[in-house]
Amino acid sequence: MKFVQLALVSLGVLAAHPVFAQEERKPDVPYVATPQVTVDEMLRVAGVGPQDFVLDLGSGDGRIVITAAKKFGARGLGVDIDWRLVGQAEENARLAGVADRVRFLEQDLFQADFGQATVITTYLLPFYMLKLRPKLLQLKPGTRIVSHDFDFGDWRPDRKTNVRKNVFLWIVPAPAAGRWRARLELPPIERLLDLELKQRYQEVTAHARLNGVPSQVWEAALVGDRLSFVVVDTTDRDDEASLYFDGRVNGDVIEGEVTRGVGATRSVTRWRAARVAR
Amino acid sequence: MRLLAAVALFLAGSAIAATPGALPDIPTPYLPSTQVAVDEMLRLAGTGPDDLVVDLGSGDGRVVIAAARDYGARGLGIEIDPKLVAEGEANARQAGVADRVAFRQGDVLVADYRAATVVTLYLLPNLVDKLKPRLLAELKPGTRIVAHDYGFSDWKPDRSVVISKTYHLYFVPAAVAGRWRLHATLPEGEREFDFELDQRYQEIRGGARVAGGYLPAFEARLAGDRIAFVLVDNGTSHRFEGRVQGALAMEGTVRSGPGRSPATGSWRATRVLRGSDEG
Repeated sequence: MKFVQLALVSLGVLAAHPVFAQEERKPDVPYVATPQVTVDEMLRVAGVGPQDFVLDLGSGDGRIVITAAKKFGARGLGVDIDWRLVGQAEENARLAGVADRVRFLEQDLFQADFGQATVITTYLLPFYMLKLRPKLLQLKPGTRIVSHDFDFGDWRPDRKTNVRKNVFLWIVPAPAAGRWRARLELPPIERLLDLELKQRYQEVTAHARLNGVPSQVWEAALVGDRLSFVVVDTTDRDDEASLYFDGRVNGDVIEGEVTRGVGATRSVTRWRAARVAR
Repeated sequence: MRLLAAVALFLAGSAIAATPGALPDIPTPYLPSTQVAVDEMLRLAGTGPDDLVVDLGSGDGRVVIAAARDYGARGLGIEIDPKLVAEGEANARQAGVADRVAFRQGDVLVADYRAATVVTLYLLPNLVDKLKPRLLAELKPGTRIVAHDYGFSDWKPDRSVVISKTYHLYFVPAAVAGRWRLHATLPEGEREFDFELDQRYQEIRGGARVAGGYLPAFEARLAGDRIAFVLVDNGTSHRFEGRVQGALAMEGTVRSGPGRSPATGSWRATRVLRGSDEG
């Protein structure tokens, strides 16, 4: 909920409160409140629900975290460098009747504890978005990040909507790059799948060998920890079929289901791959 | 399931010499789709038991037979080559689906396929584009068209999938361009908007005229006969979703505000016919 511009606001604030001028860190960004319609859209796009913990970086008067609690049933934390806004946010939370489910801290957003957040909301100028990016990419796969107006450069959003303003959603991708190996219990003979995955954020490309035969990998996609791709199984020339892989990346293991074929003739089996090299 | 072969065909065609300057009508050579291609087309279309799958250029019948055998659908194959029609019929009997599929010998350009809910194409680009006006005019909105390799030249697919080959899915869009009188029951009361839409295939844009302003329609989407858009008014977003009902009406529900329990209302729009409203 903050917006980088420069000194003007900070100077104004300091002049008004000379006593605190020594101890207080100057905000890098002036406070520009996000319109309520955009707040609503950000939380909707992130799919916020009662299971979520929303962390707002630069929480201003608290409207994002308060809306998340009041209208979406979530819990939340807002951090802001400006202690006056923190006090105002706390008061607003009491007035909205959600003081038991939200908290506000006077803190530099780069020092915030991201630990329990499942959704992170920001409104920062591009320079600060890029500064934040490496930290966000370390978060638990599946963590959702929503922003408006400004994006993360070459980390493309997983979704974008436009209701008055551009709202962007990113889903933190699991680290999936490397070589993986799986044994597939597919009748009539077991298949050995060797998978080599390359990754750039959530964009993945892959090459496979099925029983040693190079096979192209189609429609590879990574959403959080959810990996899906298609390999055409040509083991039996008279019964070629697509293998639809769907699994979750968990450390050095991918586990999920593989569906062979389509319609009434499809068959579903479990598959499990282990990482053999990074 | 037919396919253009190669440049060689164009070059070798004596028709070129016979009609200089005109692009010859080269018959699409018969090249059967692989089993994987048949699977992907029917899967991409979301084929089910309620569907009638019409395959334009049905060859040996493999698409409509798979639609009946694997998805419980009914199928109709249109094929110009009588020998292939007979082969399709024999294959259908052998697959035990002769009661659910039929083949008709004829030209895809004049065939009647209005009853289709799914249309599959594997034809030369030329022919695909030639079919387009009739497909758009005669198929019911919401009918799915799946094209293998060659899609329409200026109509963007609603979805494309690449699995060995490229497959394009199109929903036949309802015709919504024009002026509408939009009546909505919103939390603050009954509202009436003068609503306008522009359309290019499934891409729509527009907005509502209100006293002293204009509310652009955000996130406007059209998929077959299903329409959705967002109007922001007085700091609240109203999410409209509904169905187009014929040429003159559309209606649905509208959710106002965010969160788990937005206020739900209803809306209905009726077409403002040219001249009737202009005083």
